[in-house]
Amino acid sequence: MLKCRDVGQLLHDYVEKLLEPSIQQALEAHLADCAGCLAFINTYKQTIRLSDGLRPAEMPPELQQKLRSFIKTKLSSRQPTWWRQLWSGLADH
Amino acid sequence: MPYPESFGRTPHRNNRQRRAVVPTDAPCYDDTMRFAQIGEQELIGRLKARDEAALDLLMAEYGGKVYGLSLRMTSNHHDAEEVCQDVFLAVFEKISAFRGEAKLSSWVYRITANAALMKLRKRPKVKELPLEEELGPAMTEEGMIAEPVVDWSRLPSDELERKELTARLAQAVELLPPEYRTVFVLRDVEGLPAEEASQVLEISVAALKSRLHRARLFLRKQLADYAVKRQAPAKPMSA
Repeated sequence: MLKCRDVGQLLHDYVEKLLEPSIQQALEAHLADCAGCLAFINTYKQTIRLSDGLRPAEMPPELQQKLRSFIKTKLSSRQPTWWRQLWSGLADH
Repeated sequence: MPYPESFGRTPHRNNRQRRAVVPTDAPCYDDTMRFAQIGEQELIGRLKARDEAALDLLMAEYGGKVYGLSLRMTSNHHDAEEVCQDVFLAVFEKISAFRGEAKLSSWVYRITANAALMKLRKRPKVKELPLEEELGPAMTEEGMIAEPVVDWSRLPSDELERKELTARLAQAVELLPPEYRTVFVLRDVEGLPAEEASQVLEISVAALKSRLHRARLFLRKQLADYAVKRQAPAKPMSA
């Protein structure tokens, strides 16, 4: 028979469905008799469910535009464009 | 992720009409191409060829992911914006060193996580997390729960209460030390599988699991303290 302390150690693998079937059955048998462990597992799972709601919405369109301008400005200041290359090539001759 | 109309250059005013004559099964390689049409390898090739239109595509495909991870890691719009700038610049500049041993998304996530961690490390240090045993209920010497545990898991049936609890969770995430926060955000917010998250962070799956579990326990405790204090209609349960 599992103890509450064992349940705590198995909690992650139980929630992630990684437990061996026999161990899972033993844990569920414990939960059927232990309201405290059941409450703890329920709230642990609820925390995970709520975490999914933390994902922000898409990147704001104004940030997308700003980012594109920033990156392209940075890149163009670091890399000669084809006409700059051509110009510098012609200037060499 | 929907492809925003604002992305991609539209050099031709009647671009939509022009594309309409292209057979539907033909690949579309104009500036309004989509990631799904060209695939990861083609995108990598175009980035390596310094194709700026591919940068638009990269941002369209990964902008949401990079922004989401940055914002949740830094909890600050300005810092998240700076992280996004650093990430896309780094991806475009370092793509030639990308050997394709991991998925492009994992590589982008890794750059993002590292950039966000650098931001966090410049901030005042947050408190270390309590030990795992301290985040669960008190135990008797026999290893049984020694105190009542409130089951607040049914609380957020109401939309407003759910929002409040989610806001509380967001505050609690800010209390996580950076290495725990990264693991939590990648796994539970972004939904990466354990293997991929461990590759992104270059840590073992066992270390990832340990950090994730401790982060979850900490967050659960923060929510429990809040839920109990609110004296919401929760059902007390004892061992």
